[in-house]
Amino acid sequence: MEGPSPSLAVLRDRPVWPAAGRRQSGGEAETDRDMKKHFRVCRFIMETGVKLGMRSVPVATACVLYHRFFQRARLQAYEPYLVAMSCVYLAGKVEEQHTRTRDIINVSHRYFNSGSVTLECDKEFWDLRDSVVQCELLILRQLNFHVSFEHPHKYLLHYLMSVKSLVNRHAWSRTPVAETSWALLRDCYHGAMCIRHTPQHIAIATLHLALDSYGVELPVGDREWWQVLCVDVTKADIDAVISDLLQLYDMEAKCI
Amino acid sequence: MDSQSRGIRMDRDLLRQCLTYHGESLFNKLKCEQIENPDFQAVVSDLCKATCESKSDGQDSPLVEQFIARKADILFCPTWKTATHKEEEEEQQEEEEEDAAEPYAIMPPMEIFMEVSYEERRTMLYRDLEKGDILVGRINNIREYGFFLTLLCTAGGLRRDIEDLELSALCHIREVPSTGSHDDPLSYYQIGDFIRAAVKDIDRYQEKITVSLQQAALSPGLEHIKLGVFPREALPIHYSRSLRAAADSRETYECILKSCHGYHNPSVVEYLLEKVGVSDTQPPSMMRGLQSKLFHEEDFASAIRKRQSASWALKCVRAGVDHFKHGRHVEAMNEYNKALDIDTNNVEALVARGALYANKGSIMKAITDFELALENCPDHRNANKYLCQTLVERGKQLEEQEKLVTAEGLYRKALSLDESNPEAQEALHKITETIQVSIRLREEAVAKEQEKATSSQTSAEKLRKILKEEKRMKKKRKRSASSNPSSTASSRDSSPSSSSSSSSSESSRRRSKKKNKRRKRGSKRHRRISSKESSSRRSEEGKSKKDRKEKEEEVEWYPAPPNTSATFLNQKGGPRFGERDEGEAAENDAEDKRISQLYSLSAASEDEESDSSQTERKRRDGKESRTGERKNSQREERGSRSGERKSSERGREDNGKERRGSDSKRRSSVGENRRRTVSCSSAESAYSRTSHFNPEYSGNSASTSKSVESRVRHDAPKRNSFDGGRYENRGREEVEEAKGEKDSRKGEDENVPGSGRKSEGAGNHTRPSSLTSVPEGSVKKDLPTNLLDIFNQIAQFKKGKGGGQRK
Repeated sequence: MEGPSPSLAVLRDRPVWPAAGRRQSGGEAETDRDMKKHFRVCRFIMETGVKLGMRSVPVATACVLYHRFFQRARLQAYEPYLVAMSCVYLAGKVEEQHTRTRDIINVSHRYFNSGSVTLECDKEFWDLRDSVVQCELLILRQLNFHVSFEHPHKYLLHYLMSVKSLVNRHAWSRTPVAETSWALLRDCYHGAMCIRHTPQHIAIATLHLALDSYGVELPVGDREWWQVLCVDVTKADIDAVISDLLQLYDMEAKCI
Repeated sequence: MDSQSRGIRMDRDLLRQCLTYHGESLFNKLKCEQIENPDFQAVVSDLCKATCESKSDGQDSPLVEQFIARKADILFCPTWKTATHKEEEEEQQEEEEEDAAEPYAIMPPMEIFMEVSYEERRTMLYRDLEKGDILVGRINNIREYGFFLTLLCTAGGLRRDIEDLELSALCHIREVPSTGSHDDPLSYYQIGDFIRAAVKDIDRYQEKITVSLQQAALSPGLEHIKLGVFPREALPIHYSRSLRAAADSRETYECILKSCHGYHNPSVVEYLLEKVGVSDTQPPSMMRGLQSKLFHEEDFASAIRKRQSASWALKCVRAGVDHFKHGRHVEAMNEYNKALDIDTNNVEALVARGALYANKGSIMKAITDFELALENCPDHRNANKYLCQTLVERGKQLEEQEKLVTAEGLYRKALSLDESNPEAQEALHKITETIQVSIRLREEAVAKEQEKATSSQTSAEKLRKILKEEKRMKKKRKRSASSNPSSTASSRDSSPSSSSSSSSSESSRRRSKKKNKRRKRGSKRHRRISSKESSSRRSEEGKSKKDRKEKEEEVEWYPAPPNTSATFLNQKGGPRFGERDEGEAAENDAEDKRISQLYSLSAASEDEESDSSQTERKRRDGKESRTGERKNSQREERGSRSGERKSSERGREDNGKERRGSDSKRRSSVGENRRRTVSCSSAESAYSRTSHFNPEYSGNSASTSKSVESRVRHDAPKRNSFDGGRYENRGREEVEEAKGEKDSRKGEDENVPGSGRKSEGAGNHTRPSSLTSVPEGSVKKDLPTNLLDIFNQIAQFKKGKGGGQRK
């Protein structure tokens, strides 16, 4: 498991750190610092994903891989950006949108040294590549090879189709609910909230927030629209997701 | 935070809608958060009113309002919405197909599960239903003025649950398309039929719906859906699913969703994303740092990879140049090829490789590389310089092979790249002079030919007469001509008309001027060049052919038709690649020997021989040009693409002309080719070999094997005319000439499918051939004994050849 590369600062497995546990055990300050770090790394994953031309689902998988990895490992033990690169690489494989390590390394290198010359295909490059591949193996082991996840994307899109027919077509067509909810959904992956909540809840919450943002009113029946979409969801669940999400936007202002 | 949003307007209507929903508290937050946003300041006064109308109960979370206020510049930016109206229309269009394939889960309307009240649903329906939407219903009543439908569900435009809304719609008889003029259209409809109908009109006040079965009543996106009666099985999927949901309360939305096979479509996300109009390559984000428009194009993977490959390739090129400087050419070539593997069309690698090729003598390869380099980088100085030099070099090669026109073209091309190149200037100057000399000669010949051609054209009758006459003359002439071969110095033997060998040809010329002109030209030319190597003479003779051939060869080089390798003619096509050059040289040498042998016999025979060898070659050309034509034009395109830019125009011009030549020639030889069906390449090669020997002997001899000879002869005029067309592109005389050619060819065409005798006549009539139809005996009689041996050889040859041909 210990890669040959020096950039892979491998420490042997520490006790598993579940997300909730970490919060309690690490103390507020550390947690906050960790969350910020994760936020930045996820930002890096998102940006890299766009530059690599990856679709939303593989990027989401990469983020989930990342968060799950650090759910089980200490942030201080591994270089998070290297893990992120490997997550992108692994996610490409998992979601059948293969990305070449060379491209990942190139884009990342440029991300860290913006405006710098491109990497030569020399030893440094190959060392980096080895690190990424080794780290991929590390992630796989750490996650016990459970690397396939259900994402809210599919739910959200179906919900969108259903909700759309509830609304007058002209009102719908001038309201960018789809764009907003999709953006919110993508932004969810900046934090560990994407693995704390169930996909349906996240999908409903993002749709809810999007509809709220534009003041779109849906017909009211005996049951709310979100109750229909997911039987077990409560208003509290939705609010929890939304509050987590809004926290991420707050963090954006603090981090960047 | 909001500086980025400058210059972006805010969607006032959306903001108003939002404020109406959220009320005063949001407005205050907005005013606070967007204080620096001039766009918001521009619309703020409008929004006060909306806030007052607010029916908000203040239940909303302040956090959500805070979020809206902060992100208002993104949320209400008009460019935030990426879905367009067009996409929404297309979406409608797809509806029908989706029912069949179900790329995503088609869900029953949500209000079924939400248990929205009857009144509200009815109101919503009358609010949202529009003209052109499709409704499905059953006929419950038929009257003389139309029929009534009980509405079951919607089927296009709007998706709502309407079954229990007790809606009925009238379809007036006017709206039922009549199938026959005498029939009552309503007689086709029965109570209980399922009807798909378009909404014609909605009376929202009286709550009445009228529908139509006319296709024209559909909204634009739905025009393809067929209206009228349909079977029960064709009911929309969402309707049957809503029935399921209504029947069993355990069938939740989630259950139905997961049971749909569309839900399990692996690419459902991509499909639906496209359907809702969200881009996944430039994904939206509410994070300010992730706005796609902030990413630089040069930071994207593909751009970086490109740059990286280029620099990597450049490194290889540098290594290659180093090898090259130390004389390690193989290693250098390997590096260059590696560089091109890494970065196809890397300009530096192409230039370096081109230079190496040029150094190694593979001039055509070098030119290809340089041209490709220039195509990618038209201003590359070295590429221009090297290409210019290489073109001059190639031009000189061609000049040596007497391909003057092509060479001239190359010089011009070289000059167009580098006007001041002294070498090219000088070479062009020289070659122009040479060409002009030959044009003058040709002009005369053309004039003659034209006369003759016009006369031959008048009518078939006339033609036949002329042919006969000519044949007669030819017989006589042949006797004299056949005697010529032996008469280089003295033999003024039994030729009936001759006093001396030279005068015999002279006299025959006098007898039929038209033909003689041609011949004279040939011999003249021959004399002019006789100081040169015989190979160059030959190539001069066949120059135009070769030029064209070469072009064809260029074309055919890549796809390599099966017979290319076997044909001698292709190899004649001028050197293209190193090995080829050698092969050709060897071939030429062998031929030269043979030819020079013949030379010693007579000028006239030489003329004949080269003519007929041309003939053979041309026949082949004709055939190939048919296959080559298409490719030719392709090549032209390629040529113009391949960075010749300026010069390509010229080249194309030439090409076009030459192609015309080959065109017309091809026409003339079609008959011939049809007869000659050579499929097996070995036969072909055998044939080409014989046909290439044949002329040499037959030139001396009168024909021993008539049938073969006549075929040869038959082609001869074409060669001549083509020969004449060689300098076509020189001036206006070419047009006349071409006309002349056509005329003469017309004459031939009539004869082509005919017997050997006829074609022979045709051949004779354009050509001063003196050979064909003389009986063997008489020829032999006239000949000195030292030629008899040769004749025997020929006879043997021809037998073999004849057999080969008939195959």
